[in-house]
Amino acid sequence: MPSEPTTGPSFKRAVVALSGHPNGQRLVRLVGELAKAHKAEVIGVHVVEIDWSMPLDMDLAARSDEIQQILDMAEGTAESVGVKLESVLLQARDVGAALVDEAVERDADLLVIGLAYRTKFGGDFAMGRTIPYVLKNAPCAVWVVREPIPEENS
Amino acid sequence: MIGGRRPIQGRKPGDRRVRVERPHSALFRWTGPGQLTAKEAASVPTTATGRLFARVKALLLGRPLASEAELGERLSKKKALAIFSSDAISSSAYATEEILRVLILGGIAALAWGLWVSVGIAVLLIAVAISYRQICIAYPSGGGSYSVSKVNFGRRTSLIAASALMIDYVLTVAVSVASSIEQVTSAVPELFDVRVVLGVVAIVLITIGNLRGLREAGNLFAIPTYVFIVSALLMIVIGTIRIVVFGEGEGYAATLGHQLDESVQTLSIILLLRAFAAGAVALTGTEAIATGVPAFEPPEAKNAATTLAVMAALLGVLFIGLTFLAVNFGITHVEEPVKQTVISQIAGKIYGFGSIPFFLFQGFTALLLVLAANTSFNAFPRLLAILAIDGFIPRQFSFRGDRLAFSYGIIVLATVAAGLIILFQGETHLLIPLYAVGVFIDFTISQSGMIRHWRRERPPGWQRRLAINAFGATLTAIVAVVVTIAKAPQSFLVIALIPLLVGGMQFIRRQYDAQEKELAVRDEFIVPVNHREQRVVIPVNGINRAVVQAVIFGQTLATDVRAVFITEDPEQGDEVRKKWERQVPNVPLVIVESPYRALIGPFTAYLDVLDLAWPPDKPAPITIVVLPEYVARHWWDRLLYNQSAKRLKAALLGREHTVIADVPYRRGTLTGSTPPGPDASGPRT
Repeated sequence: MPSEPTTGPSFKRAVVALSGHPNGQRLVRLVGELAKAHKAEVIGVHVVEIDWSMPLDMDLAARSDEIQQILDMAEGTAESVGVKLESVLLQARDVGAALVDEAVERDADLLVIGLAYRTKFGGDFAMGRTIPYVLKNAPCAVWVVREPIPEENS
Repeated sequence: MIGGRRPIQGRKPGDRRVRVERPHSALFRWTGPGQLTAKEAASVPTTATGRLFARVKALLLGRPLASEAELGERLSKKKALAIFSSDAISSSAYATEEILRVLILGGIAALAWGLWVSVGIAVLLIAVAISYRQICIAYPSGGGSYSVSKVNFGRRTSLIAASALMIDYVLTVAVSVASSIEQVTSAVPELFDVRVVLGVVAIVLITIGNLRGLREAGNLFAIPTYVFIVSALLMIVIGTIRIVVFGEGEGYAATLGHQLDESVQTLSIILLLRAFAAGAVALTGTEAIATGVPAFEPPEAKNAATTLAVMAALLGVLFIGLTFLAVNFGITHVEEPVKQTVISQIAGKIYGFGSIPFFLFQGFTALLLVLAANTSFNAFPRLLAILAIDGFIPRQFSFRGDRLAFSYGIIVLATVAAGLIILFQGETHLLIPLYAVGVFIDFTISQSGMIRHWRRERPPGWQRRLAINAFGATLTAIVAVVVTIAKAPQSFLVIALIPLLVGGMQFIRRQYDAQEKELAVRDEFIVPVNHREQRVVIPVNGINRAVVQAVIFGQTLATDVRAVFITEDPEQGDEVRKKWERQVPNVPLVIVESPYRALIGPFTAYLDVLDLAWPPDKPAPITIVVLPEYVARHWWDRLLYNQSAKRLKAALLGREHTVIADVPYRRGTLTGSTPPGPDASGPRT
């Protein structure tokens, strides 16, 4: 029997990793629209990586307008597509581990992370440490949403 | 360090994270560097009474909307025709009746002139419509007569136009609602005795709808407008066939014609002019499209001009058609035993009294008239908002309410219109003499403004355009004079009201200008470091927690702090002094005996004495009067406390070099820096 067309894979609770890259707003819009269709929850997480030389609970993220703005803008973008985004601000030693642990604690069945395009040196996608860690360790589904390649490099 | 928050252990050893609280996020959102945007929660009242009031308001008017929720929806020609023409087309429901009411004074035969009067008005309509098409093209940003005259004539003329418009909008509501209720009572005569109540209730409902932010929703307007147009046109077609083909009403017409020959000599030109003036109300609302050009889909000006032409054609056909039927069927207004409007009698004649189509037609006519009133609820507050921005009326009129509507303007319009309905007992024909005068003044001003516009701009074909507007201006000016004279003495009320409104608006503008001049800061001015001394004076009524809190606060402002105790009883003064010197040793207490039992006068006199004692070679100090105030827990508590403080504040307002500082004491908030109760040993700091 042919299956009914759907608006994308379903999920109940998605954790969206927000790095502060402009691609993040596209990510929120994408997940927000799908979440609206599935009546799912969206949690936006921004992790501030704290160097081992400093205390983990140092007063850093709370005082930074720029960091707060990342989450506030995501909230606003989600609202514009009709979805409420719960924002979470974390300080951790490792971004990947914090994202996975937060997703596990919140019983998320989807973790969405963006992959930025670097225009320098001829252009490349920088996987870094976080995405491989999340792909390897997250118990839920993981979507890596790649930033579109600018026209002149395609 | 983030206060007291422990790291959360992750799944793996060493994976720890700290969740950082975001206390601002419930109330604000960072939208840029150094820029916060308040969320809805930030506007929620903090008191229980305020919250209750907000809840009732939300229930009645809906939840507050954010400014960004206002969508600039563009209108197609079909929707725009429904929205902007409801005012103009609805006037065909009562314009015929107004003509016949006048002509009947010349005898039954004079009614035959009704058709020719309506044709004359239709010619005027064509002239006005053609002229307004020019305005649509010349002012695609919305050519209300206020805007056009402001650009072309200046302040005074534009204010005359604005005043006439305001009167016009108020009367549109009153006349449309009164007429709407008359349609209802014509169909259901049992409701005649409660017509005023029905009229006021209708205005209240429209007001609530508009305060909720009821937009000129195309579909909402389209259905009754188009149903009315179609059913009225059908009625005209059926009626005309019955008259022309089946000869109905012929006997009546012949009799009428015979009588007319005899009566025509006696039928005065004055009566005809009065009938013409009465029927000219049909033109009201014609300017609506020209003012709303930006709401059209592109090309805005062309679409607006086309819609205006269609509207004028429809209005002309409906008006002449309905008058033709009324004259041929010998219909005129009926007052006894119950009032019946002319249009309801025509509908009864064609569709059958008491039939379902008759009731439906009456229902849609009533609804169309209500929608006509609603167009004023959109236009009037916007006009007031523009005038408020220009500084001619209080600035509050430019503020949008919770639902993005200009609440103050809506409430003023509803109040005045409801007042007129009550004053004139919901009688349309009593309100009509006040109507149309302002409309024709507006027509004339905007057409004349266009003459100046074409002479200044001189685009290709400007001579032809100028000629059209000049013809329109001349015609509407003549009609304005005729209407004013024919509708005298009531019309003089409007003529008298316009200069009053203009004077009032100019007065407000002068006040704002004077204030702006007084507050203006020169560009080259740099705020200097303050070298003036400060002193604090605290009026006290003894020693209590509120006073102690005020004293502590006062000491943070200046080194010269003194308390003043005013009493009529010297013994009480001594007791307070003893206690004061023991408990507040650092702050001197001045006791002012007041044998005449006054409180405010002696206190301000003491301040004057302080000023006089100040060395004249030094700049006057800033005197900060710190008022200890007890914050009432309930609204009814407020009557019991702080009455003297309020009087003192009123007395000190405007006093030179004096600043008033309220120090509120809230019950149950005293900890740490404030003293314990009377049973404790002494103040804690």
